[in-house]
Amino acid sequence: MSFDDIIGTEGLSSDEEAKLRRVHELLVAAGPPPDLSPDLSLPPVPTDEADPPEVAFLLRRRRGRALVLALAATLTAFVGGYAFGHSKGKPSAFTSIRTVAMHGTTSSASHGVINIAEKDSVGNWPMQVEVSGLPEQERSSYYELWLTHNGKAVAPCGSFRVNAKTTRVRLTVPYALKNFDGWVVTSQGPGRDGLGPVVLTT
Amino acid sequence: MALSLPRMLPVSTTDGELIQRAAGGDRSAFELLYQRYARPVFGLALRRLGDRGRAEDAVQETFASIWRSAGTYRPDRGPGAPWLYAVARNAIVDRARNRTEIPADIPDEPAREAGPSELAEQGWVSWRVHRALEELNEREREVISLAYWSGLSQSEVAEFLDIPLGTVKTRTRAALAHLAEILGDEFE
Repeated sequence: MSFDDIIGTEGLSSDEEAKLRRVHELLVAAGPPPDLSPDLSLPPVPTDEADPPEVAFLLRRRRGRALVLALAATLTAFVGGYAFGHSKGKPSAFTSIRTVAMHGTTSSASHGVINIAEKDSVGNWPMQVEVSGLPEQERSSYYELWLTHNGKAVAPCGSFRVNAKTTRVRLTVPYALKNFDGWVVTSQGPGRDGLGPVVLTT
Repeated sequence: MALSLPRMLPVSTTDGELIQRAAGGDRSAFELLYQRYARPVFGLALRRLGDRGRAEDAVQETFASIWRSAGTYRPDRGPGAPWLYAVARNAIVDRARNRTEIPADIPDEPAREAGPSELAEQGWVSWRVHRALEELNEREREVISLAYWSGLSQSEVAEFLDIPLGTVKTRTRAALAHLAEILGDEFE
């Protein structure tokens, strides 16, 4: 489509017209930006911040490096599982591809981390959520994790209770994460209609 | 659009500043760079490699390289975009070299496709324009996308968006003016 069809020249000064024509030409030359596939919705992230950069990324379809990472992950899972098993009585193995940090809204002592694993074959995202510093609630209350859109909690991701300084839970969500812009944890309780107060946020 | 990440850094933070922060291990700076450049890198890779799977791999490798080599960026030698372009181009060229193809018959006539310099120029233009599009707001991007790449006439765009034709033209002009502002150095 031509410049005249899209923009037109009516009411434009010659300088404005020249400027817009240049942008028009650049847009035509550049062509449409490609759609990002779901595989590219998340950036590659270090699997362990303490790792040296050479082995910090999980790269897809790079078998040699994937083998090294798999061995490292196995070792980490073994060591982590051993340590966690001894501290909590439950083994743990979770390979995170993405980590999202959360902070407290009312207390700087409360914070959380959401570790997101590779999406499974049917589109579920396994997550391991670790929260610290949230107050223990009465028996009928609980915390709930939500995905947000435009800052509003719109998609529930699961509920949990805390009874220790640090609580770790596994949740799974089926949503397309790319459609959301953050996460919050709310405090839900009896006699409270709708959304409770946000206690953690990204 | 990818999952939006916690935006603890101001949108006005330059690419160069983000690269320097990433060099210091700042993951949120790296993630913001990804938001800004994933699509331009993917576009460049698709253009060069012509295959989505290989282009996706090239995007992953490019950002792995950016993380690893961010410490080599020198702001006194220029802004961040050309440095990122060079890293991306190298990652993509490496991937193209790894391609094993059986040579086709030698053509009788010279190729009419763009040569290396033209390809480089086209790649850079797309890189800058696609990066600039990421700076537009959703409404501006929408009207540009519909006007240029949907195949719809401006009247059809107006019908699609359920707004008057005059508003479509005004929005398109405003979006182009905003792009001109972002692409300032392209006009020098």
